[in-house]
Order: sequence, then C-alpha cells, then structure tokens
Amino acid sequence: MNGLRLAAGCLMLGGCATSSLVLLPDDEGHQGAVAVLEADGKPSQAVIAEGNSRTKLGDATPASQPLGEKGLKAQEAALLTDLPPPAKSFVLYFDQGTTTPTAESQAVLTALRAEIASRPGAQVEVTGHTDTVGSETDNDRLSEQRAQEVLDWLAGQGFDRSVMSAVGRGERELKEPTVDNFSSAANRRVEVIVR
Amino acid sequence: MRYLAIVVGGVAFLAASPTFAEIARIKQASGTAYIQRNTQQIKAAPGLQLLASDKLVTGKDGRMSLTFVDNTRFAVGPNSQVSVNEFQYDKTRQKGSFVTQVDRGSLAVVSGKIAKSDRDAMKVRTPNTLLGVRGTKFIVEVPK
Repeated sequence: MNGLRLAAGCLMLGGCATSSLVLLPDDEGHQGAVAVLEADGKPSQAVIAEGNSRTKLGDATPASQPLGEKGLKAQEAALLTDLPPPAKSFVLYFDQGTTTPTAESQAVLTALRAEIASRPGAQVEVTGHTDTVGSETDNDRLSEQRAQEVLDWLAGQGFDRSVMSAVGRGERELKEPTVDNFSSAANRRVEVIVR
Repeated sequence: MRYLAIVVGGVAFLAASPTFAEIARIKQASGTAYIQRNTQQIKAAPGLQLLASDKLVTGKDGRMSLTFVDNTRFAVGPNSQVSVNEFQYDKTRQKGSFVTQVDRGSLAVVSGKIAKSDRDAMKVRTPNTLLGVRGTKFIVEVPK
C-alpha cells in the first residue's frame, strides 16, 4: 500500500529517480560508512555501514541488501575499474645543509620518474623540509631550494612544469620531533605526492 | 593599526576565494565527456584542471575519472551529470569541505583527506537524499 502511494507520487512528479548506493570496503579492506543526513527533504539519523551492500535511498530508515552472489552489475564493476590509482608518496633525504639528495635517494628519484610517467594527467606536489639546525628563515629558504631542486630535476627529465608545484615548509613539520639546532637525517627531506 | 586590519582582511579574502584554485585533475576520459564551467563547455581530457562549481557531464558513451587535491577519486559513468558545488581544502591542516551533487547517472567515489578531517565534511547530494561520507568507497546511482 505504501509502495503504491509512493509510485503514484512519482508519477505525479513526472518519474522520481530512486537513487541507490553501493557501499564497498576501501582498497585497504577497511569498511567505512555513509550517513543519510536527509531523506526526501527530512532530516535522518540513519547510517549505512554494511560493506558490500546495496541500499535504495529516499527512505528515512533505508534497508541495505547484501550484494550476494550476483555481486556488482557490469556497469558498476566498470566504474570501479575506471577509478584512478591512489595517490603515491615518495620521500627523498638530503645531506646536512645541502640541496643534494643522498646517494640512497637517487633510486627514489628513478622510481618517482617512472611513477609520474605511468600516470596520464599526473599532478605532482613537492614539499621541502629541513631539520632544526640554523635559523627559521634560513631553513624556510633551504626547504624551498630542496623542493625546487627536485622539481627542476623532474623538469629536466621532460615533465611539464605545469603538472608540478613546489613549496618549502622549513622546520615547521618535523618528521622526528627534536629540540632546536638538532641535526636529524629523518627531518632533512623532500616529500613528493603523485596523483 | 588601521593599516594592519586592512592587510589582514585582504589575506583572509584571498584565503577564502578558492574559486580559481585547481581542485582536481582529469585522469581519463572517453566518448562524450565534458566540463560545464558557467556557460563554457570544455572537453574532458587527461590533465585538465577542475575548479570548484564545475559540472561533470557525460553522454551515453561517455566516461571520465579524476583525482582531487585531497586524494579523493571519482569515476563518472555514462549519461551522468555531477556537480562539485563546494570544494575547500587547506593543504597544511588537511581539513576542508566538499559537496558533490549527482543529478543523474553514476559516480564511484573513494574518499580522501577531507572526509577524514571532520565528521560529514564530505557530502553527496542526490535528488532525494543528502549523504555524509565517513571514509569509504561507494557508488551512487541516480536513474534518469
């Protein structure tokens, strides 16, 4: 009876779209949730938390059905295949006071280059950091120079500068918390995110 | 003092105008797939930068995928209209707000840092629902 009334309502509105939700675990296997904050214009408290489930949206108390043996529809599976790969992070380390990556970090540069080349429409974010040796002003400059050095190297490898950005964070975001004027190899770094 | 207030006001204004900042980049596109920006239609192609309030539109053979600057990932299926109504992200604090509207079609989402930053900081609106995303992967479908 309820369904009939709903159907009649939809006809009058000229065919109301019943949206639906398929909830899945993330790539690491964690299961998140989606809260229904409003359904049909009314506030709701419902939370959809069952992984691998399908839910018709629009009811204040939505009922989730397991995907079961039928699993995803072909177009849903295709949509998941279309998702871009997750962002990937790289870290390069530097010798004290220099803008030269350590010998070990040269291999990271090679891996970084390969990763960018493999991603159409890549976006590259380069962030430089220092340890706490020296003044804050000097370290702001040094961290920017480190980031710029990596960006210039990538540009030299043929990547367009418009896909990359570089900033320096000085000694404000220490990887390893230390007192001032403390030499730390872990903090002298450039972090690169490839999306 | 008066001068300082004006300068501070100016900075706040700049920080609060994310309209011209890149929010995402197209990774793949095929078939009829374009970005509606105000009255402009821009063909979706790898590397195209998106701005807040852009609308993603695909035809019956169209698809596109994109990654946002907070690491959120989208795949848009055929016959879709998806608007990014609001996108604000503070990279340093890794906080922000993100509202997407799916008018029709299908959208797969893997949420990123904005969804993690605060409860329901990322929302998805369909014609009959408002969803709060709590860190996950999902597909929203809105039949025509």
